[in-house]
Amino acid sequence: MQFDTAYALETVPIILQAAGTTIGVAVASCFGAALLGFAWEILRRSGRIMSYVMRFVIDCIRSTPVLAQIYFIYFVLPYYGIRLPALLVGILCLSFYYSGYLAEVFRAGIDMIHHGQMEAAKALGLSRRHTIAFIIAPQMLRNIAAPLGNYFVSILKATPYLAVIAVPEMLGSALDIAAETFRYAEPLFVSAVIFLGLAFVISQLVAQMERRLMASHRR
Amino acid sequence: MAGDPAVQFVAVDKWYGSFQVLRGIDLSVGRGERIVICGPSGSGKSTLIRCINGLERHGAGRILVNGTEITGQSRTIHALRQDVGMVFQHFNLFPHLTVIGNCTLALTKSRKIGGKEARDIAMHYLARVRIPEQADKYPAQLSGGQQQRVAIARALCLNPKIMLFDEPTSALDPEMIREVLDVMVSLAQDGMTMLCVTHEMGFAKTVADRVVFMDQGLIVEQAPPEDFFANPREERSRHFLRQLLN
Ligand SMILES: Nc1ncnc2c1ncn2[C@@H]1O[C@H](COP(=O)(O)OP(=O)(O)O)[C@@H](O)[C@H]1O
Ligand SMILES: [Mg+2]
Repeated sequence: MQFDTAYALETVPIILQAAGTTIGVAVASCFGAALLGFAWEILRRSGRIMSYVMRFVIDCIRSTPVLAQIYFIYFVLPYYGIRLPALLVGILCLSFYYSGYLAEVFRAGIDMIHHGQMEAAKALGLSRRHTIAFIIAPQMLRNIAAPLGNYFVSILKATPYLAVIAVPEMLGSALDIAAETFRYAEPLFVSAVIFLGLAFVISQLVAQMERRLMASHRR
Repeated sequence: MAGDPAVQFVAVDKWYGSFQVLRGIDLSVGRGERIVICGPSGSGKSTLIRCINGLERHGAGRILVNGTEITGQSRTIHALRQDVGMVFQHFNLFPHLTVIGNCTLALTKSRKIGGKEARDIAMHYLARVRIPEQADKYPAQLSGGQQQRVAIARALCLNPKIMLFDEPTSALDPEMIREVLDVMVSLAQDGMTMLCVTHEMGFAKTVADRVVFMDQGLIVEQAPPEDFFANPREERSRHFLRQLLN
């Protein structure tokens, strides 16, 4: 079977439309996972008992398949009368699953901050909340920009899982087209190229953030 | 209140596990008094001054700052830190903030002072430590001596009644020690209550009202600098001074 360029171009508009959903889900999930993961890590550091509890919670989140979590939330929540749109469930699932990994990344990033920073903040009378927001978070982000970017790309690449709960994301829509025409190469190729482009954009954005955060280290 | 000592230790003990770092510390520091604390490494000097702003909790005994006892309650610790500034051996400037950002952070966030006013306050104290022209640089762009002067300005911005210094010049190259000590001398001359852990004997002789010598968690001897350096009473003090001079 020949690769039909004209046909590939025909599929572009439809797949691009689905790409909008993919981008939306990915961006929202990156934010959600980062916020949740940071919350887990701050909770983990808030006391001896919490450190054991959160260790366990974070391990549980990371040690169950993301597909199992997606099915579980999608099919089990309605049983308790909670009905959420598939899109929202998808964002919740990816945020939740990756929050476990990001918590680990944040842990490493916070461990790298010199102990004297927290002491200086205390001596200046900064509250815990202000210390987290203005001292810990910015230095942490600077320490972990690269692995954080990798996980953002992973989140993007995990969006096709949401096809199982009928979220109209990009890969699923490419497969839908393929199923109608029995031509797989073109739509799959188009969606792969778009994924590649999006991953590139993410890594560029993260690199830019890293440069901005590193500005203070230049002499 | 007005008559209370700035800092008072009454029979203070502290342990790290089974190791006793502070042993029955009694120390009273009057308002405007300048104390230099010296002693061998590991004698508990840092621990002693870190108890004054609650960076360490003491075990037994009482510590009063401006007449208020330090308890475990976070409210009193917070109030305490409003009155006590601290300068560290390794500066501990915030590397991701500019010099002015370091100075204004607590003013704008904790004290809720407006940006313009906070900046004016910060510039005032940066002028005081003689580096107003560095305001928009990052700490990594400054020399050690300049960084330590920023750290002093940052503490002064909060208008503390008491200043604690923990070996402020120990991490500095010799040629930068002078510029930091000069700032500290001028601060002393303005009547700031100061407790300085330092082995700078020249500084102690110039500004200290009293030298406190510690060894193994005990205050071994305290005396005015002219007496302490000329006629130390205790053998341990003599031994320490001999080592310092060599
Ligand atoms: N967090 C800690 N845990 C256990 N031991 C400590 C801790 N901090 C200090 N120490 C010990 O307490 C003693 C006094 O320390 P420190 O107050 O830093 O002495 P100095 O400042 O006079 O050198 C040292 O023997 C040190 O090893
Ligand atoms: Mg020390």
